[in-house]
Amino acid sequence: MKKSDLIGGGIFIALGVFIILLTLGFPTLEKGHPGPALFPRILAVLFIAFGGVIFFRGGKGEKKGLEAETREEVLVPKNYFNPIFVLILMVAYIILSNWLGFYITSTLILFLLMIKLRVSYRRGLAVSILLTIFVNLMFAKLLRVPLPIGFLGW
Amino acid sequence: MEFLLQGLSLLMAPKVLLIICISSIYGLFVGAMPGLTATMAAALLIPFTFFMDPVPALVSIVTMSAMAIFAGDIPAALVRIPGTPSSAAYTQDSFELTKQGKAEMVLGVDVICSAIGGLMGAVVLMTSAPLLAEVAMQFSSFEYFWLAALGLSATVMVSRGSQVKGALAMVLGLFLSTIGVDITLGLPRFTFGSVELLNGVDFIPAMIGVFGISEVLRNVLEGEMSYPITRVRAGKIFSGMGGLLRRYKVNILRSGLLGTFIGILPGAGADIAAWLAYAVSKRSSKEPEKYGAGSIEAIVDSGTANNSCLAGDWVPALVFGIPGDSITAIVIGVLFMKGLRPGPMIFERQPEIVYAVYLAFILANLLMIPFGYLAIKASSQMLRVPKNILMPAILMFCIVGSYAINNSIFDIGTMLLMGVVGYFMEANGYPVAPIVLGLVLGPILEQNFMISMIKSEWDLTLFFIRPISAILGGLTIIVWFFPVLAAFLEKAKKRNSL
Repeated sequence: MKKSDLIGGGIFIALGVFIILLTLGFPTLEKGHPGPALFPRILAVLFIAFGGVIFFRGGKGEKKGLEAETREEVLVPKNYFNPIFVLILMVAYIILSNWLGFYITSTLILFLLMIKLRVSYRRGLAVSILLTIFVNLMFAKLLRVPLPIGFLGW
Repeated sequence: MEFLLQGLSLLMAPKVLLIICISSIYGLFVGAMPGLTATMAAALLIPFTFFMDPVPALVSIVTMSAMAIFAGDIPAALVRIPGTPSSAAYTQDSFELTKQGKAEMVLGVDVICSAIGGLMGAVVLMTSAPLLAEVAMQFSSFEYFWLAALGLSATVMVSRGSQVKGALAMVLGLFLSTIGVDITLGLPRFTFGSVELLNGVDFIPAMIGVFGISEVLRNVLEGEMSYPITRVRAGKIFSGMGGLLRRYKVNILRSGLLGTFIGILPGAGADIAAWLAYAVSKRSSKEPEKYGAGSIEAIVDSGTANNSCLAGDWVPALVFGIPGDSITAIVIGVLFMKGLRPGPMIFERQPEIVYAVYLAFILANLLMIPFGYLAIKASSQMLRVPKNILMPAILMFCIVGSYAINNSIFDIGTMLLMGVVGYFMEANGYPVAPIVLGLVLGPILEQNFMISMIKSEWDLTLFFIRPISAILGGLTIIVWFFPVLAAFLEKAKKRNSL
């Protein structure tokens, strides 16, 4: 039994059922021909069919296929918290950038991530500041993107 | 001739030349960094192309991708890790030869064969695209529907690993393309009251999420990699090259054409071209026992094929608006962003842009030799750039890049969500490129299907009555049933051998 396939297949089946439920209220075209609901419903059926295959295979414990990316595995210990930390930082950017402004939020996020990835404090701070200035130069000055300013006007 | 000169003058503008140089360096760096792909590089480039004119925008992607696919060979030879998946096929051979003290020869072959392959692809692109465009002029919504369906089906068929998982990834991309206002009645679908979703899932943040954020997540999970790097005497990489090229001229010609053909097939990219060229090379070689143990012939073949494939990928993208691989899926997004509709009309209305793309392929592949030489010379420094600094930098470029298009925090959320989805899918053996192809081709597929149905008053037979439509439809259905057919033939073969 392969747990990830059972879960993956289950999610896709559930998504298919959810789409069908959502399309039940969609109007039809003239003479009752299917309109906006047609394409999503076809996709929902495909989600259920293919998801079912994956779910069924997971239950039967089919051997693992080739990985999507052919990449040499390097034996290094994995840090499972690191990806979660990256996501937390991105959410923090979404919440804080309009309040703190780009300079502070970017420096803070870069610095925290570098420290988490074991860069020294001094080097991490210096690189974070320089990178923030570089990104600001590229986007705000060169491409004229109005980056968040924040309450300090930075 | 007139358009050729117009294209040349567009390409030779100082600003465009500067963009070519910067894109080259960027492509070489990303390609040479293990764990970063050419597709990710293209996704991160889009926010910049948003602010450029069409020619520099397209030329920057052409140059960057050509350089990145070549540069993927550098870490393959020096540290036994392919820089991009396109170099994976011959990584073992490259590294075995490096261990035998032939790193210079391997890298010399890599750069020269990549350039020759790229030039061959460019010639095929220049000759075949206008001819195909004339045929495509007669296409109606029926043919475009089948073309999109064929492109999507081929993508699933060639996706590595489980084809069912490839199909699910494609269906997910198609579903994402249905979010927003529907084309038949203008009904908002799956927007859940969000104003931002009325225009649909924005292609750019989705792309940056799937290819950029998921790479960052995977890399920070793996931690810092350290590897001994072989030093290269760059001055020696071209010695003995003349004799080698003469000996393998048939291989180069064969793999250049094979790679371009694979590129023209919708959905199949440079990595598949390299694997196929490797298999063909081994089968026709006089020394098949050397494959995997250090065969320069394998490197000649696969190294030529993956770069020639890049130009081939542009043929269906420009002529039909159907991407040849994930990079050209991004290109199609860029074309739409610039108000250009890919398809046969682009050859009529903006021929100077098409010619500029042709010439960019030639220029990029000629520049590959000096730039490639410099990249090889700087290889040991490039490979020492610490990932724990590079990944935070990429993260910030992803965040600001996806924000820059609409100045919208919502787009950062889209990128975040797509990054998580892409990461989990890839970690569980689902290829992510079909998501993007589904997202790009979804509107083409649905619009052409609905237009065809409404104008034929829901007569499905019309999809099979028009001759070209019938051929394309037949091909698509063959692709659908190919896995079943292959399994059946395999069983029959086993039964016969018993």
